[in-house]
Amino acid sequence: MNDQTLTPEERATNLKGMGCARKRVEDVRFTQGKGNYVDDIKLDGMLFGAFVRSPYAHARVVSVNKEAALAVPGVVAVLTAEDLAPLGLHWMPTLAGDKQMVLADGKVLFQGQEVAYVVAEDRYIAADAAELVEVDYEELPVLTDPFEALKSDVVLREDLAGQTEGAHGPRKHHNHIFTWEQGDKDATEAVLGEADVVAEEMVYYHRTHPCPLETCGCVASMDKVTGKLTLYGTFQAPHAIRTVVSLISGLAEHNIRVISPDIGGGFGNKVGAYAGYVCSVVASIVTGQPVKWVENRMENLMATAFARDYWMQGKIAATKEGKITGLWCHTTADHGGFDACADPSKFPAGFMNICTGSYDIPTAYLAVDGVYTNKAPGGVAYRCSFRVTEAAYFIERMIEVLAIKLNMDAAELRRINFIKADQFPYQSALGWEYDSGDYHTAWDKALKAVDYDGLRAEQAQRIEEFKAGKTRKLLGIGLTHFTEIVGAGPVKNCDILGMGMFDSCEIRIHPTGSAIARIGAISQGQGHATTFAQIIASEIGLPADDITLEEGDTDTAPYGLGTYGSRSTPVAGAATAVASRKIRAKAQMIAAYLLEVHDGDLEWDVDRFAVKGAPERFKTMKEIAFAAYNQAIPGLEPGLEAVSYYDPPNMTYPFGAYICVMEIDVDTGEWDVRKFYALDDCGTRINPMIIEGQVHGGVTEALAIAMGQEIAYDEMGNVKTGTLMDFFIPTAWETPNYTTDHTVTPSPHHPIGAKGVGESPNVGGVPAFSNAVHDAFRPFGLVQSHMPHDHWRIWKIANGLGMHG
Amino acid sequence: MELTDEIRISAPRDVVYRALNDPEVLKDCIPGCEELTQNSPTELEAKVVLKIGPVKARFSGEVTLDTTNAPDRFSLTGEGKGGAAGFAKGGAEVTLTEDGDETVLTYTAKVDVGGKIAQLGSRLIAGTAKKLSGKFFTSFGEIVSEQSVS
Repeated sequence: MNDQTLTPEERATNLKGMGCARKRVEDVRFTQGKGNYVDDIKLDGMLFGAFVRSPYAHARVVSVNKEAALAVPGVVAVLTAEDLAPLGLHWMPTLAGDKQMVLADGKVLFQGQEVAYVVAEDRYIAADAAELVEVDYEELPVLTDPFEALKSDVVLREDLAGQTEGAHGPRKHHNHIFTWEQGDKDATEAVLGEADVVAEEMVYYHRTHPCPLETCGCVASMDKVTGKLTLYGTFQAPHAIRTVVSLISGLAEHNIRVISPDIGGGFGNKVGAYAGYVCSVVASIVTGQPVKWVENRMENLMATAFARDYWMQGKIAATKEGKITGLWCHTTADHGGFDACADPSKFPAGFMNICTGSYDIPTAYLAVDGVYTNKAPGGVAYRCSFRVTEAAYFIERMIEVLAIKLNMDAAELRRINFIKADQFPYQSALGWEYDSGDYHTAWDKALKAVDYDGLRAEQAQRIEEFKAGKTRKLLGIGLTHFTEIVGAGPVKNCDILGMGMFDSCEIRIHPTGSAIARIGAISQGQGHATTFAQIIASEIGLPADDITLEEGDTDTAPYGLGTYGSRSTPVAGAATAVASRKIRAKAQMIAAYLLEVHDGDLEWDVDRFAVKGAPERFKTMKEIAFAAYNQAIPGLEPGLEAVSYYDPPNMTYPFGAYICVMEIDVDTGEWDVRKFYALDDCGTRINPMIIEGQVHGGVTEALAIAMGQEIAYDEMGNVKTGTLMDFFIPTAWETPNYTTDHTVTPSPHHPIGAKGVGESPNVGGVPAFSNAVHDAFRPFGLVQSHMPHDHWRIWKIANGLGMHG
Repeated sequence: MELTDEIRISAPRDVVYRALNDPEVLKDCIPGCEELTQNSPTELEAKVVLKIGPVKARFSGEVTLDTTNAPDRFSLTGEGKGGAAGFAKGGAEVTLTEDGDETVLTYTAKVDVGGKIAQLGSRLIAGTAKKLSGKFFTSFGEIVSEQSVS
């Protein structure tokens, strides 16, 4: 065992710890089709649920006739709001402090809203019977525009009639939800009044949808003998779901076991609680049989949580040399029929107040008004921390708009306004303390990597050729330097339904030197089983291959708030490091006993404790593990395990520099991404291969959002993009090649210096693509054009600028 | 969605107009029509099975006619409900112009659809609507021409 033939570097390599491009252990099952998703779960006597949904966006529900549906052989029950009302379950609380109908209670507020729930012996019978439920609707006027909704006499939420106080303060109108203000309004307006230059623009970030490959679903199974409910589901926050189910159902929390099996992508769509969960639980309690509900693609796109839909009116003030002096933003946020945004409770517009971005802006003001409309509820963080992608898009567009106004190069304008490396920790005007950053280094590296000056020269030449009639293609250079705020969050200001947003890890070392770790987060494709084992491997010196990670079962995993908002590594990852260190501290005492020295005489050496000055005298972690179970050590309990509940002292602030080079055909509106360069600084890097995968996935989702993906409504409130025929998901055909790069600026407060990376590419990618489109048309007079930049809209830009002769 | 078309029918205008008001003729011409009842000279009630892409549903509808300027022109408005499949509502302006022994029928219809049928994308709906109206007028032209001859 006392192997001294390997160097410390070789021993570290063998651990496959942090920094190793370790292959994903999950992929053994995924690449063989052996994943176990909710829809793979089959229980004896399992029934199936299907919803009757409203074809109207706003209507009174006059009557619901179940007779024809109940007459279908195999139909067990048809639930309506009337059936749920005696249980108090016809409405449920939302994460945003509002309430939401589980089944239509007298009226419907968006197309696709759940009206009745049919339970049958198989999925086909349930679907057929749902079509036989006769619902008599009386159409009401439809409001799909938030600005119109704030002026309209039409009352959407009659249940809130007369309530002038909402969950987040006063309501100004019957369709108004809240006003959220940050920063200094008077000081900002004074700066705007005195500034050399003020650029003003409306920046719209359209409504879109996370659209995970696997839709939302659950299996509820009530065991009437034990009184225990097991709820399998596509939950990004299984513990929070258990608490919510307990609070609304009245079942004791120890009698509820929530299990998130393999999840086929979440991206925020699977954070909230949906009517399907409540109805399935009720149906299982009533029938005593398991009930499965899995939504189809159309249901997913039209009814479960959307993202974005922010109208951001901005003003940015600067000196004539380009030094930014102030930022003002008023956002009108379209929340749909119910306020079901998934944000920490005290942040009704999420962390939108990160909208000063990477820039040293001394004075700023932000106000957000939430509005009810006849659209689906939601407002989730689609591969971003809460409303951070909206904030990043806003500031990165405003910088471009200011550059046009100043007639300045946008790269230089950014450079002269970046927060400098020696200003960290940096206190932003809108209330955040940025932990660390080195923006100038990242920016210079990015500009050099793409040969920025060369690109601008090529662009100038292209414009000449275009004007001379030699080409019909323009060149756009899309710049972005984003700063994120992730890792929610400190319990002092971050909670979901009152539960602090800490996270957790429990590690048990087995006698033979292998281990199992359980965390409060849950992977939906992030590769936790691979990367969290790497953190432990580096911290305690056991090979990652000998460490199992288990998550998603509330009966075994320690309490945690789940995975979204890039919080797994910043919070659960920190808990994992801290739990590991507790184990190492005990291991040091065991090693001291075994080596008959004082613990202070030992030093840690990759995978062992060695006596200081006598490296040949050591005990490996594997030896220590065995001793923990077979030696009677005075003053120490047997065993080797630890648990940590980690309350982060601050958020983490990953950043990056993205540059997109795009060719645009002015006659067809077609675009072609010639180059996409993504430099990410996520602090300490745990697994470079997984980071690269995250960046590829996130940039591809950003491409989708910027260049075509949207949830569009017509004036009747019909969802016009309810299938993948109309809702853009990039395939290999549209997806360009990406060049990834990095700098490393560790977080000073995180135990291993990691900041999180899963969402950076979406946050930074969207403005990079959008800015490329705008940049191509800048010489011809374009200032602002709303996303998504599909071929038709790009063609309209060219047409509007008179470029079609 | 707007539909416009012009159809030439080999029958005099009064024959065409009479046929347009004959529930039996209409029932035979409307694709998928199962029932058609005339409740009053200006009110019709119908049950029609429609298939649009993957959605097949039975629509119950009511149609009201405005015959103030008949037989030169008349208009109709209606609404049909197809349960889970959605709903449709709209109206049409029809003109009948004599041209020798023949009649030229032109119509402009405006139709709004909601629910599942609307979500399948306007491409599919517009194409189907054109096909259905084409079918209607082909059958209508044939029946009316026969009536005119006999």
